[in-house]
Amino acid sequence: MTRLFEVTKRDDAARLGKLGWRGRALATPHSLESKEDLELLKESTIHRAEIDVAIVAAQEGTGTERIDADVVILAGAARFQEDPRGLTKALLGARKLANPDSALYVPALATPTNVSLLVYAGVDLFDSIIAEVKAREGYFLDADGERRFDEVSHRPCFCGVCNGANITELSFEHKVALASDHNKKALKEELNKVAEHIERGTLRELVEGRCRAAPALTALLRLLDNEYEYFERRSPIVRTATLLACSQESLNRPEIRRFGERVIERLRRRDGVLLLLPCSARKPYSRSRSHRIILAQLGELRQHLNEAIITSPVGVVPRSLEIMYPASNYDIPVTGTWTCDEREWVTACLTQYLSANTFESVIAHVSGPYRQICESTVEQLGINVVYTVDDDNVLSSASLQRLRAVAHELVDACSPARRDLRFDYMQDLADFQFGPRASEAIFPEIPKIGGLFPTYYASDRGRRIATITGSYQTLALTIEGARRYLPASGGKYCVQIDDFEPKGTVFAIGALKADPGIRPFDEVVVVNDRFIAVGRALMSGWEMQASKRGGAVVIRHVESR
Amino acid sequence: MKKQLVAREHMTQKPKPKMRGSRARGNTQFAWTGSDLLNGEIVPSLTMVLTTKGCSWARRDGCTMCGYNVNSNPYVQAPDIQKQFNQVIAHYGKAFKIVKLFTSGSFLDKEEVPIDVRDTILSELKDMPKVIVESRPEYVTPEICDDIARTNEHVEVAIGLETSSDRIRNNCVNKGFSFGDFIRASETAIAHDFTVKAYLLLKPPFMTEREALEDALQSVRDAAPYADTISLNLCNVQKGTLVEALWKKGLYRPPWLWTAVEVLKRMQETATVICDPVGGGSRRGPHNCGKCDRKVVTEIKEFSLSQNSASFTASCTDQMLWEFVLEFEEFSYGAPLVP
Repeated sequence: MTRLFEVTKRDDAARLGKLGWRGRALATPHSLESKEDLELLKESTIHRAEIDVAIVAAQEGTGTERIDADVVILAGAARFQEDPRGLTKALLGARKLANPDSALYVPALATPTNVSLLVYAGVDLFDSIIAEVKAREGYFLDADGERRFDEVSHRPCFCGVCNGANITELSFEHKVALASDHNKKALKEELNKVAEHIERGTLRELVEGRCRAAPALTALLRLLDNEYEYFERRSPIVRTATLLACSQESLNRPEIRRFGERVIERLRRRDGVLLLLPCSARKPYSRSRSHRIILAQLGELRQHLNEAIITSPVGVVPRSLEIMYPASNYDIPVTGTWTCDEREWVTACLTQYLSANTFESVIAHVSGPYRQICESTVEQLGINVVYTVDDDNVLSSASLQRLRAVAHELVDACSPARRDLRFDYMQDLADFQFGPRASEAIFPEIPKIGGLFPTYYASDRGRRIATITGSYQTLALTIEGARRYLPASGGKYCVQIDDFEPKGTVFAIGALKADPGIRPFDEVVVVNDRFIAVGRALMSGWEMQASKRGGAVVIRHVESR
Repeated sequence: MKKQLVAREHMTQKPKPKMRGSRARGNTQFAWTGSDLLNGEIVPSLTMVLTTKGCSWARRDGCTMCGYNVNSNPYVQAPDIQKQFNQVIAHYGKAFKIVKLFTSGSFLDKEEVPIDVRDTILSELKDMPKVIVESRPEYVTPEICDDIARTNEHVEVAIGLETSSDRIRNNCVNKGFSFGDFIRASETAIAHDFTVKAYLLLKPPFMTEREALEDALQSVRDAAPYADTISLNLCNVQKGTLVEALWKKGLYRPPWLWTAVEVLKRMQETATVICDPVGGGSRRGPHNCGKCDRKVVTEIKEFSLSQNSASFTASCTDQMLWEFVLEFEEFSYGAPLVP
């Protein structure tokens, strides 16, 4: 039974936590340094002690029974030092086997170089054994890799431990002593950095950098990325931090793939005329100079058009979802050339988007690589696309005039209905967050829309139904909105709680049943027989059910049913 | 299940040539000469490995570290064994003080070495100052010893005790006999004026370096009263064994040579302990960091002849690592810290 460990913050599979330890609280991720601490854990595996410790072996990763202990040890992890495949299987197996509120300890494996990846995979506890071993083998360790003693002799280290000491004159024993202190310090420092990144929700960015130190680590990240389901289940629905897509691996982030899947699977089918636009550096796109100029050209025509933005790495972003993470805040290196991986991914997204909807005509106001992607997509699908950029400049007056003329002509040809663009944002966010057709339940008729972009709100006969929040730009339901959504929800994005009035934070122990599809930061409806409430999830739904500790939902409003 | 059994039987019934290859002809590459200690003197010795149908225990169950049964051949007949022996003697002569008769099993098991062959071989060597035969304790019975004593009075019985701990011998080695069995066998042999050698296994699988060291020290102490010589065998990774399977998964590392040196040094007053580090310095054999291995192997061999710890002069930077491994390997929960 877990009593001593609590997860306090999540970033994908990585966690910050607190582990009760000899009467004090260890902040995890943590590296155990003293032999007494290692002995305490080892003793606890044999005798029932103050800490409940269980051991799992790598091969046991297929079990279904969850292990409910304060600390779960992945036995013999050291053998995976050079085996990223074995390590991936073992880590994920152990994490799945352990209860979410058990701390996972991977003995004799951590170095300053690999520890960020291990935390990213879901490990909470480490030790300094390999840091000590490497010192005795003649290596200084740092986050960017290892250096042999003779290399350090040429270029001394200026960290607080080494202080620029010239180690050439030192005996081997003294070098080992210094390296041992340096390595332990480097591990601690890196764990500090990792914790900081989890705090900010940017561990992925750190990990994508760290894994360059060794091919085995890059392999580890790529193998972890193959485990989409494992990471998606733990991946927050929104972040405040900007997603920095600086590497090939960025394309494989769970939120990128999830966004693409939801655009296809959850949004309403569109018809009429589609306008494809290039992305912009400034987000949301409609705030950028290029989009303002283009949109100003179109004027009221926009109310008859569907707009979508082509971008790497997010793929295809319908205009209405430009305010949703990750489309709302990502950044990529702009060079004017796209890699094959980027082209392939975005082409696949566009192909799916065009196939899933039934547009009568498509305008592509794009140039360069964007146009090449459109052309290769269209070639596969046999759709007729009108390109409105002639001189390679989307903002030239010739291009803009042509765009306006073509848009006029195509809209006239199929005369699609006029829409309130602000309502588009709200409808699509509702479907994106709560699932297909959720918007029909929440907005059975066209509501009154108020507010300034992007924080619109919808009301019906003076009653507020939903608001787009300023902090995360998610669609937050009011109690009225929740009452409309609940009967049609089928339990999706709902949390059943025990018989109490939900106020402040609802803890995992109080959640009786939760939709396993809920992700951190999802807007959810909290209910029991007496109350209905709305709030923001702090953990995934499956985790609420499996955990006994930690906050599950922060309540925003509550009313009697 | 049944189907499998039938299939197997069928396979064993398949006609096969009696024996193939050079070993059937008693090729001398399975014999070698060397130097050994006899009553405090360094003397020339001859060792031969006779191919038999193999160890009875290996055929029935088998030990975790032993791959010697690959040298056996189920179709060996009595004349084949005699022929191998004759050819080795014809090639090397008898100008030795010690002859070691190894079978990768038990020389005293009549299923392996038929009685008439055993007696012929032993009587041919009756003037040899020392004839060493290997056997599991269950074949060291008063009856068999009576028989042997009549043909040869200079026999040494070498028994693979591996460890004095029944727990480790059962769980880590799967040897199938107890320390009590060894003691009975040893007392029987001594009662017939034979000498006794006990083999100890340094670092069976599923043990840390420290556990292995402590087990070896304790085993030397326990076995010393029942053995004239103790031979410390450093576990190596043999083909087709459980140890090999563990090793391939990164769950086993052969012992450090420093651990062997430690046992030899500390047990010098307790017993005559000899050691031949088979495969020393290789990945599959006992090894250190790679820089000092060759020197330490030489020193271990020197010590085995001299029994003088002055043989040990080597020192290397990896000793700090070895000491750390001794102290911390248990905290990895099953994987060696250093390859």
